[in-house]
Amino acid sequence: MADVNPVANHSQPPPGEAGVSRRQFLGQGAAVAAGLSALAAAMSPLRHLSDDDLPSVEEFLQKHYKEMTPADKERALERIREQVKKRYGVDAKVSDPPPLDGVEFVYGLNISRCIGCRKCVHACVAENNQSRSPEIQYIRVLEMEKGSIDLETANHHYDPDQVPRPDKWYMPVQCHQCANPPCVKVCPVEATWQEPDGITVIDYDWCIGCRYCEAACPYFARRFNFTRPEIPKDEINPNMSYLSNRPRSKGVMEKCTFCLHRTRVGQLPACLEVCPTGSRKFGNVLDPNSEVHYILKNKRVFVLKADVGTLPRFFYYFDERGSRYHEPITPDTKGKELKEGA
Amino acid sequence: MKSPFQFWVPLAFLVCAGVLLWDPVPFVSPVAARVPTPAWATDPTPVRQPKLKPEYVAAGFTYQCMDCHRIIPSPAETFRRLTQHTEIQLNHGINTRCFNCHHPTNRNAFVDDFGAEIPWNQPQLLCAKCHGPVYRDWQAGSHGRINGFWDTTKGPQTKRRCIECHDPHHPPFAQLPPAPGPNTLRMGRPGPVEHGGRRDPLRLFAPDNHSASTH
Repeated sequence: MADVNPVANHSQPPPGEAGVSRRQFLGQGAAVAAGLSALAAAMSPLRHLSDDDLPSVEEFLQKHYKEMTPADKERALERIREQVKKRYGVDAKVSDPPPLDGVEFVYGLNISRCIGCRKCVHACVAENNQSRSPEIQYIRVLEMEKGSIDLETANHHYDPDQVPRPDKWYMPVQCHQCANPPCVKVCPVEATWQEPDGITVIDYDWCIGCRYCEAACPYFARRFNFTRPEIPKDEINPNMSYLSNRPRSKGVMEKCTFCLHRTRVGQLPACLEVCPTGSRKFGNVLDPNSEVHYILKNKRVFVLKADVGTLPRFFYYFDERGSRYHEPITPDTKGKELKEGA
Repeated sequence: MKSPFQFWVPLAFLVCAGVLLWDPVPFVSPVAARVPTPAWATDPTPVRQPKLKPEYVAAGFTYQCMDCHRIIPSPAETFRRLTQHTEIQLNHGINTRCFNCHHPTNRNAFVDDFGAEIPWNQPQLLCAKCHGPVYRDWQAGSHGRINGFWDTTKGPQTKRRCIECHDPHHPPFAQLPPAPGPNTLRMGRPGPVEHGGRRDPLRLFAPDNHSASTH
């Protein structure tokens, strides 16, 4: 048991002689070689990295969106055009439309008319170049029992043959573009902010993917790119903008931007365009002749989770007389109302 | 240094390397296979495309309504079974008479409250006879579809008419099949509700977890 005796240990190798014995050299060399091979094995997944996974020098040195000069922005847009061309083979129109003066966007959704067909969900995915695999969707349509507004038991997986089901009602939820946005407050790097027209945007090149904003949002409106988004080449929407629907990279957040590449040039958002029932309303709330102004002034309106103080710019409203799907108009019911009214 | 320690260290490292390369617990991606989106799900065409013209197609020929009705009188009351236009089922609530809407003498027009003609391409004026609040909302834009530009100084705006969504003879908005539901990472697949499980909308359901948890 010489090992436990420190005196014996120190005597071997004797002081003054060349430090390492052959046995020690082989033993320690084997340990180092095995350690290096373990390190190499642990790092071996890195061999799957492609050029696209790493930022270019230009991308790495790019400034925050708000600090970019017009020339910087033009360079960034050109870089995005080249990346899109390389990755998808599409000549994209990448722009950066500024917010319009005297415009504050507001969304209205008529829950008396929504039938829960989910066309808005898919039009949004197609318009905003969201990942198809894994799927990313900004809009979530909740199905609830008539007479209740219990989000806890709401179902977004409903799949009947036909919608609406007579005893259900439907509530699409997406980014509410809050005037007091909790997602913006929690961002540690200021990669997300509220624009003057009320749209909360993300600089995808500045986001570090910490997902604090996803946790802070009471509406579950923010989405994270767990992997590199996959979009088929023939499904790319070439009308892109820096702050909205340009292809995102792995590890960044994204969210609904009210289709700002459309709405800031006067067009209506894609979810509204496709809605077969006209339940969706959009416009400039500062314009007294706009539809949303009329809705806020005259219709019965509510916001989701008003108690959390987020001041949404997304309003749900309903009509004096709601949907009549609970009592289908059939020959049997003809004249029923006359008798009841008499 | 006779300690066996110096052999254990490289051995442990080698075992580590072996395990890492062997990868005994392969990564199972929770990403589900893509569900193709049907083309109709992104098609903004209105559910109906009315002609807005008083035309009738029969046996491959297109007629103006008055081509026949100029000669053939129709009965004043239409509660009885029709001999012509039998494909039309009038299920419009208490509105059970053809001439509440169609002009009794000029079949190329509709009729207003005073017996005057409403042109065929202005159906909203006809609907407004009974549906006042909805007509008011349609005029103000809170009811009905609007397509194109919200800012009309920058581009055209299309305001859809009543009958581009509603069948005047059976007005409730027709039911549609729903587009595919979410299959995203955090919204997952439907949970095992049939087994009494409470559904958590944010729960991750990996493909394998799902089939395992239902049994």
